[in-house]
Amino acid sequence: MKPRLKQRWARLRAWLRPPRTLKVTRIGRTYLVVTFGVGLGALNTGNNLLYLLLGLLLSMVVVSGVLSERCIRDISVRRVGTDAAFAGEPFAFRWAVSRKQGHAFALTFSEADSPLTGGGGVGYLPANVEHVVRANLIAPRRGPLRLTGVSVTTTWPLGLFAKTRVLPLEGLLLIYPKRTYACQEPGDAERGPVGDSGNPRRNDGSGDVTGLRELAEGEDARRIHWLKSASTGKLLRVEREREERRTWVLTVEAGLADEALERRCEEVAALAHRLLDEGHEVGLNTSDRRLRSGAGSAQEKRILRALAWLGFEGAREEEEEAA
Amino acid sequence: MTKGARLRLVLRDVASGCAFASMAVSGQLPLWTLGLYGVALVAALAGKRLFARRAKLTALLLLGVAAVLAVNVTSGALNLVVAACAFAGLISAHRLLSAPDAATDGQVHLSGLLMVAGGAALSGELVYGLFLVAFGVLASVAMALGVVEAAVPEGEPVPVRAVLRPLATGVTFAVAGAMAFFILFPRLNWNMTGPRAAPGLGPATTGFSNTVRLGGAGTIKDNPRIVLRATLSPDPGVDALNSYWVGRTYDIFDGLEWTNAGGVRREREPLLTLRPGGDNLIHQRVELLPAYGGRTLIALETPSRLGNAVANGSTGSRRTFLQELAGGEARFLEAGLSYAYEAYSLPPGGSGDTFRRLPSVEQDALLALPEALDPRVSQTAARVLNGEREPLAAAQKLAAWLQREHAYTLELSGEREDPLADFLFERKAGHCEHFATALTLMLRTQGIRARLATGFFGGERVNEGYILRAGDAHAWTHVLVPERGFVTVDATPPAHRTSQGSRLLQRLLGLYEALESRWRNSVVDYSFRDQVDVARALVRPPKGSENTERSRLPPPRAWGAALLAGMVVYAAWRLVTRLAGRPRPHEATRFVDLVEAILLPARLFRAEGETLEDLDARLAREGHPLAPALAPVTRRYLEARFGGRPLRQGEAEQLIRALQRAVTAHVRLEAQRARAAASEPRARAS
Repeated sequence: MKPRLKQRWARLRAWLRPPRTLKVTRIGRTYLVVTFGVGLGALNTGNNLLYLLLGLLLSMVVVSGVLSERCIRDISVRRVGTDAAFAGEPFAFRWAVSRKQGHAFALTFSEADSPLTGGGGVGYLPANVEHVVRANLIAPRRGPLRLTGVSVTTTWPLGLFAKTRVLPLEGLLLIYPKRTYACQEPGDAERGPVGDSGNPRRNDGSGDVTGLRELAEGEDARRIHWLKSASTGKLLRVEREREERRTWVLTVEAGLADEALERRCEEVAALAHRLLDEGHEVGLNTSDRRLRSGAGSAQEKRILRALAWLGFEGAREEEEEAA
Repeated sequence: MTKGARLRLVLRDVASGCAFASMAVSGQLPLWTLGLYGVALVAALAGKRLFARRAKLTALLLLGVAAVLAVNVTSGALNLVVAACAFAGLISAHRLLSAPDAATDGQVHLSGLLMVAGGAALSGELVYGLFLVAFGVLASVAMALGVVEAAVPEGEPVPVRAVLRPLATGVTFAVAGAMAFFILFPRLNWNMTGPRAAPGLGPATTGFSNTVRLGGAGTIKDNPRIVLRATLSPDPGVDALNSYWVGRTYDIFDGLEWTNAGGVRREREPLLTLRPGGDNLIHQRVELLPAYGGRTLIALETPSRLGNAVANGSTGSRRTFLQELAGGEARFLEAGLSYAYEAYSLPPGGSGDTFRRLPSVEQDALLALPEALDPRVSQTAARVLNGEREPLAAAQKLAAWLQREHAYTLELSGEREDPLADFLFERKAGHCEHFATALTLMLRTQGIRARLATGFFGGERVNEGYILRAGDAHAWTHVLVPERGFVTVDATPPAHRTSQGSRLLQRLLGLYEALESRWRNSVVDYSFRDQVDVARALVRPPKGSENTERSRLPPPRAWGAALLAGMVVYAAWRLVTRLAGRPRPHEATRFVDLVEAILLPARLFRAEGETLEDLDARLAREGHPLAPALAPVTRRYLEARFGGRPLRQGEAEQLIRALQRAVTAHVRLEAQRARAAASEPRARAS
């Protein structure tokens, strides 16, 4: 299904959805069975005490409905979001919730109509206080995920029913490729090796000698300059310039689809992470765009974003248009 | 464990205890189940979860208990319903001792629910109602705390106070709703099983035996338990009835105990006529309670007809036949926990019996004396009577002498060889049986026919009827007076004829009985007829109110209707003020909304957080064809919203129309371009 159709379908479902959904919990099911039994007993025997008990049980059901409705009414939710969401592993997601009046109890939040699993909860929400709810969500697949609303569920007051309300809230969550191990080598570097004065590990290479310093605990003993050490009476190590920085441009080949594309994206993400972690520069070449090579965590994020959008170019254009 | 969790567990355990107590008040549960549950509850409240580590293994204990109960049921020692209730209680006890988690909590509450349902089947006591409400409240609070506790992150306190407030309101509404349901839900059956009875707590205390033995302490006089309820017609309307309620009479005394001459007179009758009645009979609707413990019918002296008897058991009620025995005793043929029947009695003044119509054995027995009677009895009687021969006057003279010369006491220790002589000449103190025996035998020594009667004396007003306590058990003398029959003469001092128990205890029990009576009338015996009465009372004045003096104030239902109307008006007013008090959107904001709607066909959307000014700037930057049309609109909006220059009358419409025209033209142009692009021939590779 095309993204636009998917979006319309999601909107239609949201429009058709009843304002509240009710699910009977396990204990609630037994409660209803007992209530039914008491009702049958009352009708069958005419025992007035059973009628009284039946009245109490039914009233508790009604009161439960009213109290839970009061609980999830007047709630407003704002997505705080997440720093990074990788497919197939839990990521921290946050919502800021508040209510104008009254108290709310035992609220559970999750993303409505989305493949994200997991949710967060808050036990007590007083009025006029913004509370940040944290949840560990898991996204099954890479790619942009359109969020239509936040569902708020409560089992207050007796835990017999779980009442859910969906608060419409449009949003987009970009899921990065799954973090895996890179099985393939990145291939030949485009440039390098070149010196890198900005690299914190620049003095740990195999180039020219840059100086001597005292050997720290746990450092490689093969770096000890024995002559100088003997003359000074303490262990000194040689520091040499590192000249290993290279530049790679990783490629996601055109024509890949489905699992092959997923696998390639994961591979490229893993390679990019490894290379950037080693201090190299990495660029990305895909069928429709080219990312200039760069280093550091910002570059990794750019690569991950580009990989996340791969295969969803239509949606990206829409998003960019809307932006 | 947090403070909130501890509180929740205590509430849960106490709620379960209340549910069990709602069954236990029926007095039908086996004692060993009471013991087991009690130990489990105490251990649970002390925080000792003995089965926490071996929940599955200890569940085998339940199997053993189930087997024992099953054996009891199959052997007929235990009712199936009682066995089921006992088993539910023991399941709950097992769960109380298990590790507290969400599943265990749910099982404890649900077993509690089963127990209160079982309690409803076993008992109709007022205490049941109290335990039901207590269970409902405590279990609801415990469940609510459990729900909140599960959602509160670990380490954070459970907001107990915040939970209690809305919950208290909810539970109050639930109880009110339960009452409304109870009153209004139509009773679709006619309660064919009839009223049920439970033995209650404590053994039965009174009842009648075939003999009355003198001696021993009169412990029963201290017992304040209620054994009989009766409504009289015509209603005397007095608080203390002070009447004699006879059970049976005795006519043969052997020096130690009283017995009867003769045996069964009528075997099986639905209606017993003991003696002919008249037009002024007193009708009694009598209920003998489980504390009574006998099968002898009680009626106001002197009973004429007895019948319409029903025996109530734990499973329902059934009609029972009556049996007439010597001594004017009427008995129920079938045993029950409690009984209900109707009786008609002659007004006070005499039984109307004539000597000749009495059976010959009774005629002889009315003057019979024990062989070893102390001669001082006869001498004393003769001395006191001083030649008085008229039976009633002689009896009253002797009764006055006995009351004057002898003291009333319940502390009679030791067995006496001749209890009568001991009472009259040695100890000079005794209880009602001693006084009645002395009077009867002293009369007989003087040739006056008399017999001993036993039953109750008193009658305490409770609501519309009267009650008798176990301590009201009494003995007195029947003197045969020509043309009047047997006339009651009581030698016991008047102050000691009724119950001699603690006044405070009696008052408390009286208060409880009043509440119980209302509970019974309003809840246990509530029927379709009562519902019709409720409905009728809502639409027309209650019966009998036409005769009462008309008040200038409106009737209560008018006050009720006015109150209801007032509440509706208040609710409507609250709704209207809330709607009126809503923050209205600024006029300029509505203007922006309109602009946004107009821009939609041109596929121009504001991004999240983007203002109209930002949108205008973006369009200008991009050289969008609609930017010139939007610019004046944006400028005027900003002036109106923030610059203190509100839109003039009709200005908004002008701006909107201009923008609308520009957008329509733009959309049309775009469509033409799209069509032109579509109709252009495409290059084809050859």
